[in-house]
Amino acid sequence: MQKTDERYSEKVLSLALDLGKNMVKCGAEMNRVEETVIRIGYAYGMEKTEVFSIISVIYATVIDKDNRTQSQLRRIRSMSVNFEKLEKLNDLSRRICKNKPDLDEARQELESICVPGKKFNIAVCLGYMLASASFAVFFGGNLLDAAASMPIAAMIYLMQSFIKTVGASRLFFTALESAVAGLAALVFVHFGFGNNADIIMIGDIMLLIPGLMLINSLREMLCGDMMSGLLRMLESVLLAMAIAVGFALPILFWDFIV
Amino acid sequence: MELKQAMIIIITGMLGTVGFSALFRCDKRRVACNALGGALTCLVYVLCCSFIDNLFWQNFFPALFATAYAETMARAMKAPATPILACSIISLVPGSKLYYTTYYLVTSEDELFHSTLIETLLIAAGLAVGIICISVVVHEINRHKFKQILDVE
Repeated sequence: MQKTDERYSEKVLSLALDLGKNMVKCGAEMNRVEETVIRIGYAYGMEKTEVFSIISVIYATVIDKDNRTQSQLRRIRSMSVNFEKLEKLNDLSRRICKNKPDLDEARQELESICVPGKKFNIAVCLGYMLASASFAVFFGGNLLDAAASMPIAAMIYLMQSFIKTVGASRLFFTALESAVAGLAALVFVHFGFGNNADIIMIGDIMLLIPGLMLINSLREMLCGDMMSGLLRMLESVLLAMAIAVGFALPILFWDFIV
Repeated sequence: MELKQAMIIIITGMLGTVGFSALFRCDKRRVACNALGGALTCLVYVLCCSFIDNLFWQNFFPALFATAYAETMARAMKAPATPILACSIISLVPGSKLYYTTYYLVTSEDELFHSTLIETLLIAAGLAVGIICISVVVHEINRHKFKQILDVE
């Protein structure tokens, strides 16, 4: 009897943390994740659930009714924004708290949500292209500029999906992506495809800018999660600088190339 | 601001929001809601631009509006607010200012570099303060509920 009980709290904790980990991966803010872990622990009758998380780690301890403690840790190494999945995970956690389904059932549902998607998603690629073209016009470009920014946007999408699999340093590759995009814009304008290289670049900068990260960091700081908030804010400022460096390089050296 | 220019900003702002909804892999049912948010936020922005001559306030009020919109829609649709906010507000993100800041830095036009850098920071601050003003209220309400559920303190 005692043995099954121990397994029970272990399973609860591991379910809560796996759910939390996947939420972080989809782009959730840390306070939402912490709240989810605590709520699930509470729903499955744990006496106490304590959780600590910063942007790449979630660590939690549960204490069950017999005063036994269980601790586990999850490390998050990569993330890709996927709000549809996040919403499903959110629903799942809400349902868990409300109906308290069997643990195995909940685990199965979690796994059915977290099947890895296709590497190349045509809708997302079109989203990149639409966004860059719109912002090229938004910031004062003409239709030719918008058209020129589209292939560059597709290129950025391909680079980003390739680099996710490699898992290399994000700052460096953001700078690299920016440099390639900037160079492509200058080359396009040089050959008459597009009128304003700056507008084309701005359209593509909008895709790289860490806007969501900034919003999340604000919300985290607001909820008393200073550590995650500050780290994320610092990361987004560094990313913005990486983008600036990346676009600066082709501008700087263009005169020497041509 | 001319009417034609304002229309272009609102329409492209909306299309950009739709693009970003796909980029963030939003649920298909949410795209219309995001697009409306993006268009309305741009409308508020255009209005602010024609009445206020201050970068901070020009971006503060649209951010305020976008956050309020996102929180309201999130309640109505039982969805998280962050996706709606992130998509609606994206057209206000100072991408062009970041570009020109870099550009003037590289071309060593120091005065222009300083002024655009400050403009970029002002816009970012306006957006941040706008988002925070609404989020504080929502957060306080939520925290109260959460405490009741957990029965702490």
